Amino acid sequence: MGSRSSHAAVIPDVDSIRRETGFSQASLIRLHHRFRALDRNKKGYLSRIDLQQIGALAVNPLGDRIIESFLPNGSQQVDFPGFVRVLAHFRPVEDEDTDLDPKKPEPLNSRRNKLHYAFQLYDLDRDGKISRHEMLQVLRLMVGVQVTEEQLENIADRTVQEADEDGDGAVSFLEFTKSLEKMDVEQKMSIRILK
Amino acid sequence: MPPRARCVSLCETPAALLTMSHQVKGLKEEGLLEGFDLRMAPTFRTALHVPQSLLGPLTFLIVLYAKVPYLECSVLSPTELTSSEAPWTFDFSQSGTFSWAIATRPVHFPAPAGNRLGRRPSSKQAPKAQGTWGRRGAQRSQKECAGDSPSPGAPQRKQTERRRLREELGKQEPSKAEGTSEGRRKRDKRSSFKEQTAPSKKEKEILRKEKLKRQKKPRSSSLASSSSGGESLSEEELARILEQVEEKKKLIATMRSKPWPMAKKLTELREAQEFVEKYEGALGKGKGKRLYACKMLMAKKWVKFKRDFDNFKTQCIPWEMKIKDIESHFGSSVASYFIFLRWMYGVNLVLFGLIFGLVIIPEVLMGMPYGSIPRKTVPRAEEEKAMDFSVLWDFEGYIKYSALFYGYYNNQRTIGWLRYRLPMAYFMVGVSVFGYSLMIVIRSMASNTQGSTGEGESDNFTFSFKMFTSWDYLIGNSETADNKYASITTSFKESIVDEQESNKEENIHLTRFLRVLANFLITCCLCGSGYLIYFVVKRSQQFSKMQNVSWYERNEVEIVMSLLGMFCPPLFETIAALENYHPRTGLKWQLGRIFALFLGNLYTFLLALMDDVHLKLAHEETIKNITHWTLFNYYNSSGWNESVPRPPLHPADVPRGSCWETAVGIEFMRLTVSDMLVTYITILLGDFLRACFVRFMNYCWCWDLEAGFPSYAEFDISGNVLGLIFNQGMIWMGSFYAPGLVGINVLRLLTSMYFQCWAVMSSNVPHERVFKASRSNNFYMGLLLLVLFLSLLPVAYTIMSLPPSFDCGPFSGKNRMYDVLQETIENDFPTFLGKIFAFLANPGLIIPAILLMFLAIYYLNSVSKSLSQANAQLRKKIQALHEVEKSHKSVKGKATARDSGDTLKSSSQNATQLQLTKEETSPPSASQSQAMDKKAQGPGTSNSARGTMLPASGHLPISRPPGVRTDSGHPPSQTHLWSASGKSAQRPPH
Repeated sequence: MGSRSSHAAVIPDVDSIRRETGFSQASLIRLHHRFRALDRNKKGYLSRIDLQQIGALAVNPLGDRIIESFLPNGSQQVDFPGFVRVLAHFRPVEDEDTDLDPKKPEPLNSRRNKLHYAFQLYDLDRDGKISRHEMLQVLRLMVGVQVTEEQLENIADRTVQEADEDGDGAVSFLEFTKSLEKMDVEQKMSIRILK
Repeated sequence: MPPRARCVSLCETPAALLTMSHQVKGLKEEGLLEGFDLRMAPTFRTALHVPQSLLGPLTFLIVLYAKVPYLECSVLSPTELTSSEAPWTFDFSQSGTFSWAIATRPVHFPAPAGNRLGRRPSSKQAPKAQGTWGRRGAQRSQKECAGDSPSPGAPQRKQTERRRLREELGKQEPSKAEGTSEGRRKRDKRSSFKEQTAPSKKEKEILRKEKLKRQKKPRSSSLASSSSGGESLSEEELARILEQVEEKKKLIATMRSKPWPMAKKLTELREAQEFVEKYEGALGKGKGKRLYACKMLMAKKWVKFKRDFDNFKTQCIPWEMKIKDIESHFGSSVASYFIFLRWMYGVNLVLFGLIFGLVIIPEVLMGMPYGSIPRKTVPRAEEEKAMDFSVLWDFEGYIKYSALFYGYYNNQRTIGWLRYRLPMAYFMVGVSVFGYSLMIVIRSMASNTQGSTGEGESDNFTFSFKMFTSWDYLIGNSETADNKYASITTSFKESIVDEQESNKEENIHLTRFLRVLANFLITCCLCGSGYLIYFVVKRSQQFSKMQNVSWYERNEVEIVMSLLGMFCPPLFETIAALENYHPRTGLKWQLGRIFALFLGNLYTFLLALMDDVHLKLAHEETIKNITHWTLFNYYNSSGWNESVPRPPLHPADVPRGSCWETAVGIEFMRLTVSDMLVTYITILLGDFLRACFVRFMNYCWCWDLEAGFPSYAEFDISGNVLGLIFNQGMIWMGSFYAPGLVGINVLRLLTSMYFQCWAVMSSNVPHERVFKASRSNNFYMGLLLLVLFLSLLPVAYTIMSLPPSFDCGPFSGKNRMYDVLQETIENDFPTFLGKIFAFLANPGLIIPAILLMFLAIYYLNSVSKSLSQANAQLRKKIQALHEVEKSHKSVKGKATARDSGDTLKSSSQNATQLQLTKEETSPPSASQSQAMDKKAQGPGTSNSARGTMLPASGHLPISRPPGVRTDSGHPPSQTHLWSASGKSAQRPPH
């Protein structure tokens, strides 16, 4: 009890965070460690630069978008609850969780929320739609110069054409969900250690 | 921060949920509650320390957020209430009736004991709770039990209650004794799970006593410690679980005599056993606890070990990184060649182990040493040049008379002190090389087919998939990231090609014409090359009769074959461009054509070889006579002292036969080596030098070399795959006559793995039209199987119908090679076994056996057909089910979305959590709870807890907590709806 509780006590608002995210005490403590390790100047929050130093994000074509997703609404910092809230999307779905509860807000790690998180990585202007333009931008990030611009545009067109159902030339969240229906999102967008 | 009570409600049925939510809404409207939150139990379980055993799959938790900060409340089942200090009870049963009891407990103002507001004493009320409550000074509790009717005076009582509460609240000092209250609440909560299984009276009594004892103990709990109690076991928890374990044990013991239906007994028993098993270790004192801890530790370690081991296994796959690297740059088709190469290497390693372990090493260790007998000695005539490199390079000289070749082996039946039967082993290894290869090829083909049926169904959304899901977010290394970029690009290109193919519209007549033309041209090429080889082989037979032929004339056949192998494939490819196939189909055609070419080459080579063998066999008889004559002369010649026996003739001087087996082995050895060299030189010249030239001369050239004519080479998949396959065919054919061939081949594959990996990465460019390899792997395997079969034929022919040489090899002196089997059976097995074998070899048995095999094949084939049909039907069914599920889900999703807004609004942070408990696994019957209530009335408690029986209508009880307005009933129809909908509790109650 001793050492753990002292750790747990360090985290502000631990109960409400736990309730909201469904994390266990242990993983919250672990996340808090990580949070503090990332927070280089002991500011109590993470800035964009703190997040950019993560190696995996630095090489990721969508790294900037991911960092953006941590920083809500244009603010330049994220505190621990916010940090945990984003990570809660990646909590593995437990078997017990599968039957839903009408009264409870959908857990952050539900399939829908996981997908929505992925969706907003592509939705650059946050208008709820992935337009062809946004897709092209992401493609350019992912593929680079090896494919000609024309081909890129073809790919973007094809993608939109595939997923677009209502014919507005953009992929809405619903269409996005549909196109990834076969994907095992619950499994792929889960980090094992975040129980 | 205002203190919070932790309240758990276990609510198992939709009906209960509905009632509960109405009730709670009532509370909210009264202004007592700020909101409430309904959660699935499993997510919340850890936070609230609810033992798993209490929770069913559909258990709900209701958390109430009270505005009144010091309202200490916990909601439990009536069973709980009677035995513990639970102040609030919501009991919702399936019938729609419910009971509840509430006790508000001001934290800092202990009211006098017995100051309980209850409407009327009920026979079912449980004043026992006072035992604990009175002592601790939290004195208000009120209970209504299911079954009672609401009493008319309820509103008045309610008002009084409310007033009183307000007064108390006014007096409270918020900052005091939070820790204590928190700790106590914790305790309350924990104890609330104690008696879920409705223990018998006696047990109950004991339990209560124990609890009291425990509660008297000084409390040292702090907020922090209590909030982290979920991770480690506190003393109290231990005690609690111990009690539960005891209880369960008792239950198990008395299960037999319980008047329950069998199904219930069984489930109960199973649950109890599980529980005991799970927790017994955790509680045992001393040793048991340590054992449990040890077990947990071991389990954790084991999981970790397994994970590490999996990682290790992945790391152990040889060249995995290299191949992935290539795959990311060149696409899956090129990678498939390297995977095939790796697989081939594995197969050859096994063959190598077989041959070396069972033939070569025993011979070297235990056989007669070099120089002891003629077949192990270099003949006198060759002795001078036997160590020259040029001779060795041709596998003559010392190499020819070594354990690498058939001729070296002696025909002694057993060798060494182990009495190892080498000839027998030689024969069996030769057979098992083929057996193993056949088995492994067929097995991997089968597994490939299985893989292909499992996946690859709908190809919708390919681009969306690639677009949205291709990045691997775990990549943290920039080099890997580069690879990933390359592979994403490649995969996009692959799909573009596929897409273009599927959308292509063309002039069908033109295409047909072009395809026919291309096939015609290629057939011409094949015929030409066949004739060329035939011509060359004929010529070489003439050359072989002549003396001092030049190097070129001696090697003409090999050179011509290599040249054909080098130039024909590109020619075919050029012609194939006419056909305009999808690259994957094109590759197959190309493979087929080159296969035909190589096959022609191989078989002409084999025919030539066979001619040679027959020639040698014809000469053998004369040589045999000469040998005998020589030996006879040597021993009987005059001029030697008759009294002293002559020393045996030096083995090098004995005249010997040509040993056609070794000659064949040498041919294959040479062919393998020359093939390897040609491949490497082609790569070096055709790929590397060309790449260097293009790269560096581009600066000073008059046209763009990189984009223009020579450009960089593409990796020639078909040629390489076929080279590999035919090489393997030669190994299979040659390994019987040259056991060392497999060793050479292992080396060859090893070097070519590294060399080709390097060459591909350094000097090749990805194909212009990258395509997915999908199922070409099985195509390779099919070709390999064909080659294996074709290479089996000549070997089987030679073994079965050619006599072995008289003076070399393990079978010398026998009429046929397979006689070794007969010999072993006759000499080493009991006679009756020999008879059985002879009987089995009877054609009268073999022909029916073959027929039976055909029948079996036919039967299995039809079975597999019907199974695959069934498979398809099942798949259809699953799809249909899936769709139905989906539509259900979408309906549900909408409902949830509609409701969640409401729920979110109502949740607030500084609130009192209420625990509502309902236990479905053993819902206490009315009589049970009554009995418990009575029992629970401990000494020293007054009638402070009052229960009011409520009607089954689902209306709110009349005696209610202060500030709670009566919610005048929800429509019963909804209750029906809920009961009817059974388990589908996802729907909101309104």
